[in-house]
Amino acid sequence: MALLEVKDVTKSFINDNKRIYVIDDIDFKVDKDEFLAIVGPSGCGKSTLLRIIGGLERPDMGEVLFHGKPVLAPTQEITMIFQQFGLLPWKTVLENVELPLEIHGIDKKTRRERALRFIKDVELEDFKGAYPYELSGGMKQRVGIARALALQPEILLMDEPFSSLDALTAESLRKEVLDIWADKINVTDTFIMVTHSIDEAVFMADRVIVVSCRPGRIIADVKIDIPRPRYGHQRSKKFYGYVDKIKAMITKKNNNHSSK
Amino acid sequence: MKKSFKRYLVSFFIGLVFLIVLYIAIMNNVKNPEVKFLPYYTFRTLLRITVTLVVSVVFGVSFGILVSMSKKASMIITPTFNIMQSIPILGYFPAVIILFISFFPGILGMELASVFLLFTSMVWAIFFGVVGAIKSIPLNIIDAAKAFNIKGFKFITNIIIPAIIPALISGSILAWCDGWFFMIAAESITYAGETHNLPGLGSFLAKSAYANDTNLAILILVLITAIVLFINHFTWHRLMEKVSSTGYMPLFRLGMFDLKNEKKVVRRNFKLHFKFRQKVLSESKYRGYSLKQKIIAVAIVVLIFLVVLYTIYKGMLDLRIIKKSLFVPEAANIPIFTFFTLSRLTIAYMISLGFAIFMGVLAAEHKKFATFFYPIYDIGQAIPILALFPILFVYLSKIFGGTLGLEITGIVMLVMDMIWYMFLNVVAAVKSIPEETREVSKIFGFKGIKRIRHIILPAILPALITGSLLSWGTGWNTIIFSEYMPQQGGDLHVNGLGYLLSIEGYKKGNTIMLVFILFIISTIIILMEKFIWDKLLSKTKKYELEA
Repeated sequence: MALLEVKDVTKSFINDNKRIYVIDDIDFKVDKDEFLAIVGPSGCGKSTLLRIIGGLERPDMGEVLFHGKPVLAPTQEITMIFQQFGLLPWKTVLENVELPLEIHGIDKKTRRERALRFIKDVELEDFKGAYPYELSGGMKQRVGIARALALQPEILLMDEPFSSLDALTAESLRKEVLDIWADKINVTDTFIMVTHSIDEAVFMADRVIVVSCRPGRIIADVKIDIPRPRYGHQRSKKFYGYVDKIKAMITKKNNNHSSK
Repeated sequence: MKKSFKRYLVSFFIGLVFLIVLYIAIMNNVKNPEVKFLPYYTFRTLLRITVTLVVSVVFGVSFGILVSMSKKASMIITPTFNIMQSIPILGYFPAVIILFISFFPGILGMELASVFLLFTSMVWAIFFGVVGAIKSIPLNIIDAAKAFNIKGFKFITNIIIPAIIPALISGSILAWCDGWFFMIAAESITYAGETHNLPGLGSFLAKSAYANDTNLAILILVLITAIVLFINHFTWHRLMEKVSSTGYMPLFRLGMFDLKNEKKVVRRNFKLHFKFRQKVLSESKYRGYSLKQKIIAVAIVVLIFLVVLYTIYKGMLDLRIIKKSLFVPEAANIPIFTFFTLSRLTIAYMISLGFAIFMGVLAAEHKKFATFFYPIYDIGQAIPILALFPILFVYLSKIFGGTLGLEITGIVMLVMDMIWYMFLNVVAAVKSIPEETREVSKIFGFKGIKRIRHIILPAILPALITGSLLSWGTGWNTIIFSEYMPQQGGDLHVNGLGYLLSIEGYKKGNTIMLVFILFIISTIIILMEKFIWDKLLSKTKKYELEA
């Protein structure tokens, strides 16, 4: 049985009396240990899909199964990091990481220890008393990562995690995230990332699901067969083969869409 | 100890010493037997306003949170509060006094009535500010809270409370200043033809002014202004500076005192003050309530008034009494009195409008000019303008005689009151004209009238309209207060709704008539909002510049 199953999920909203399908009949499975990327144009329901997986939103139709059981609300086993970080500005780094642990009823001593461990993992131990406004974008996202991982979830959802960062910061953070994923000591080993950057998806993921726009449907499910670590392969023909192929699919779909 | 904290302490003590010297000077040089109570009066007034502020904060925060967490509550409460805040506070004061005194006879009832009056002037800025602040919590924070299961009580303590603190401080400053504004009316309570003074600075000022002791009245006014300024600078400004400089800087934990650049603080607070006012205004006014909501809200307000009337008339409220109370000889004057009052407001408004536009253009053309006004704003905010009324009257009646003097005093008061909002809004708007827009006008050679017409006026138009709305709102309070002047040798009045309200409410205790006049005034206010300001504002939405 797959770890996570997205079954015929559909979500729509009504605008000017017209029903618009943000997500239409999306169906896929994610295995344990997998790094999955969902790619598509901006504003095309990718984030909505991720929010449904995380239990933040409910689909109109279909369901999300985790270990075979439907996901109805956010749980400790599936956590999330956000494009805009979602840190509480009035709490320090340590307090930000500790709060979800407190909510999930972990006792004071354990949560302090665990929060510190994950803050150390993302190399922010010197900033544990700092407030978010004192941190750079990259540091903020690392707090976001530490906060999510500290709950020791099975699945980590990432919503455009590098989009608010400058190119160089994003580059190094991508590597950090890959290291965390590859680290077998970590409980969290299944990652699902939404992105609009094809390069990023091909660089990071085992599998890339390509989503179309309005309605959001799966147009391709591409297995990325490039050996890891991929740092040396980013300029390779194979790498660009995948990128060009996915790009062509999205462009073609969009052209068809606009010529209708 | 931090250097900035030392500097804070030093200036704090200099301010304190200045205040003490002022007290001693007044107490030793004024030959009024009551002057020795000055510190006691100050204490009572401070206590009164502080208690009211605390009550307002508790009320504003709890209802603000309730409204934000429950859609159903919001459907009913928000439009109801909106109507209630449109009713001029000083209008329903007599009814409140009667109500409280009937439950708590004597001084306690009056003290409570006074706190209640202050409360109704203070609570709205806090309530609507809190609602606005909760609404503008960034979506990513709400999402994160959801994703990590932060909900219920934990959501309130971890997300909502910290997020509303800046708004709470801004709202408290507005409320605090409003409290001082109304204090002069709230401490001098006339009931059944008799005036009772609650011990306090406001009543002392009123008493001395009405007894023609202008010098003492002015001294008290100066003292009040100094106290308000002192408290503004040493508490509110500091708090605001701390929560505003980075959006959410946690209070108290970081060095909270830095007087290095007081001018900068005043300037920034000025801007925040206006951003906050706009937010409160847009939260309370332009929400687009549905017809059903409006009907429910009106019904609730009417019900409240009916309950109040019923209590005052001790259950004797029947058609006969209503008829008897409404068909008094004065009732025939209502149409013409409405006209007089509206004329006064219009004249004052026109003067304020002209002045505000003139100043706005001037400020836009000369950047330094605008900067020059920050200190005026700072001090002006601290002067309770209502308190000027009796003082001004003493002078003007000497020149123009009793009734004409009162007429002129009223209009001068109105202008001073209305111009404040108009002008400050305009300055704030001028300040936010983007440099790019200015440069466009330079590059394409807009000069003189053309520049004013095509660049400056459109840029300040939305601010003028918001300013107008605010200034009419406060104008109604001032006019109710200033059409009637109790005097030792026979009371003076000018004809108008405010006079009628004072006579029926304070003198005769005809509460039904009072509520009826209040109903007329509220209807005028709401109709004007609906058919003038809303229309104008939606037309000028396109002009609004992104600041």
